[in-house]
Amino acid sequence: MFEFFKKINTYHKISKQILGMNARNLAYIRPFNLARAKRLADDKLLSKKVLVKNNLPVPHLIARIKTLEELENFDWQKLPEGFALKPNRGFGGEGIVVVYGKKKNREDAWIKADRSLLTIEDIKTHIRNILDGSYSLSGTPDTAFFEERLQLLKLFKPYSFKGIPDIRVIVFNKVPVMAMLRLPTRASSGKANLQQGAIGLGIDLATGTTTSAVQGKSTMVEYVPGTRLLLSGIKIPYWNDILKMAVRAQEISGLGFLGADIAIDKARGPVIVELNARPGLSIQIANLAGLKKRLQKVSDLKIKTLEKGIRVGKDLFGGEIEEELEEISGKKVIGTVEKVKLIGKDGKEVEVEAKIDTGADWSSIDNELAKQLGFAATVEEFDKLKRPYDEIKDLSKEQRWNIFKDVSDISATIPVRSSHGFTYRPMITLTIQIDKTPITTRVTLIDRSHLTYPLIVGKYNLRKFLIDVNK
Amino acid sequence: MHVSSIILFFIQKGLPFETVILLLMLPVIATLIALLRQVVGVKAFGIYTPLIVTFAFLATNGLKYGITIFLSVIIIGMLMRFILKPFRLLYLPRVAIMLTAVAVLTLGVLALGGDLHRTGLAAVSIFPILIMITIVEKFVAVQIEKGTKAAVLLATETLFISIVGFFIASSETLIRFIASYPWVILVTVPINITLGKWTGLRISEYFRFKEILKHL
Repeated sequence: MFEFFKKINTYHKISKQILGMNARNLAYIRPFNLARAKRLADDKLLSKKVLVKNNLPVPHLIARIKTLEELENFDWQKLPEGFALKPNRGFGGEGIVVVYGKKKNREDAWIKADRSLLTIEDIKTHIRNILDGSYSLSGTPDTAFFEERLQLLKLFKPYSFKGIPDIRVIVFNKVPVMAMLRLPTRASSGKANLQQGAIGLGIDLATGTTTSAVQGKSTMVEYVPGTRLLLSGIKIPYWNDILKMAVRAQEISGLGFLGADIAIDKARGPVIVELNARPGLSIQIANLAGLKKRLQKVSDLKIKTLEKGIRVGKDLFGGEIEEELEEISGKKVIGTVEKVKLIGKDGKEVEVEAKIDTGADWSSIDNELAKQLGFAATVEEFDKLKRPYDEIKDLSKEQRWNIFKDVSDISATIPVRSSHGFTYRPMITLTIQIDKTPITTRVTLIDRSHLTYPLIVGKYNLRKFLIDVNK
Repeated sequence: MHVSSIILFFIQKGLPFETVILLLMLPVIATLIALLRQVVGVKAFGIYTPLIVTFAFLATNGLKYGITIFLSVIIIGMLMRFILKPFRLLYLPRVAIMLTAVAVLTLGVLALGGDLHRTGLAAVSIFPILIMITIVEKFVAVQIEKGTKAAVLLATETLFISIVGFFIASSETLIRFIASYPWVILVTVPINITLGKWTGLRISEYFRFKEILKHL
């Protein structure tokens, strides 16, 4: 019985975070996407026109065919080597045909992604079906159009199968709240459609770097199928431009709750492929995060400018990469300078800024700092016994140790080659606490009074950490 | 059986008792379908198809014949799509050919039923059969839009809802209850208003988003 209530409680908790179909339709699409805005989004040619008018880049329109008569009189030589044929009111990527080049020595045939041939007759039949409304939302007669085929970005080449990846950005109240990179796969036969087996990658909004990945409806994946290519950590180029375009598209379209689809063309950079008035919910799985909570967070904000909206989105919904990285690797991410706590003799504690230095083997601390930690005697006694390096460099380890072994609290001695030149240093044992992880270790003592940081942490003490130089 | 005066009034006007009860069952089944969609997340082909299939089941002599016809219609529809694919026909003519095939083959199934001495199958009245044949259009439409897998799933869900609906609508207890208190069907209105304002997660969505659960 208790188990049952616990279950009910978790359900209640997650229903507050995850956006379900009911809430999406009733609380977001209904009030924020009014009929006129929806009509704009559902009409690809119209949205293309409106976006172009507002100086937003879209795939160039080549030609449109509205009637059977236009189809019969169409000048097929007008079509370039590669193009995309789309139904104006299509949805879910249905009815789209993409060709990559003309068949050699033939004027009337093109080659599709799967290398099969597409003749003018095939195109005609397909267009007749489009005009008939086979692919339109409500089965009503439709318009077909040709647009330029976008060129795959080199960066995405190893990740996508035949088609071109696109980026879905959900924008609400001028704030980008969640984003996903969709990769076409063999399973989705080159379509960037999750339902058909494409891969959705969650994106860290602050940096535009991919995080977790889902294939199809709910299978979490780590690698590109059939390879050892990691899906997380792909840095999406033009990230700021993409966010800007998405927010701008929301302002223009009047869709309060918008899913903007943006693809990156090799030559032209990011272009808006489609506006979506009913964005799908799988983006939550790709990001392993709930959309409802995010939407609620930004719903009361007064966002005046586009820049502000982007900043809010980045601040609120970015930065999760690091936590995830820590989760995956079991290691903590630290910067090149970290605040650390030193615990010395008799539990004496000092907090200092330390330089994280992967060039050094051992950590070393300043003599003054050692004194504060209760090792004053060690420093003084060692100084008295200290001899020039040349005098002791040829001694064996044991002979060396015999000279210094009576120094109080000394753990070892070690020759060090550093920016100080060759030196001979005493070592003491203490505990360094970095990002809440305590490490008990030997450290070398040296006069660092002329240096910025009284402590450097060397690589022997960094095994549990990853270092982010941007931090 | 205690029968409410309002129902007696209809019977006096010459309406058969079964017809009155069936009409009163309609809002109950419709509400059930709405509830299954909004709260449980069983989709089916909209509200009309499962409703009409439920009533087709009620009108066939026993559930098993209804299910047999339903399944044969769907399977034939699926096969025909693959047969017709290479011809590249426009939508309506294609569906017309499909309906023809379904009609002919349904006749075959009925005759086969007669052969196997399943006389109940052959004795099914024509209207429920016609109703179920028209499902093929729904099926084909979904097949084109969302693929065969989605269409089969929706057909299964439709079948599931219709079977549940069948058992509810043919429950003696419920029939007796509605016969005594026909006004009770008005309760479906507030229920549907509540359902129409319901923004909670559907039960199916708890499963759909189970991966996120681990990370919340």
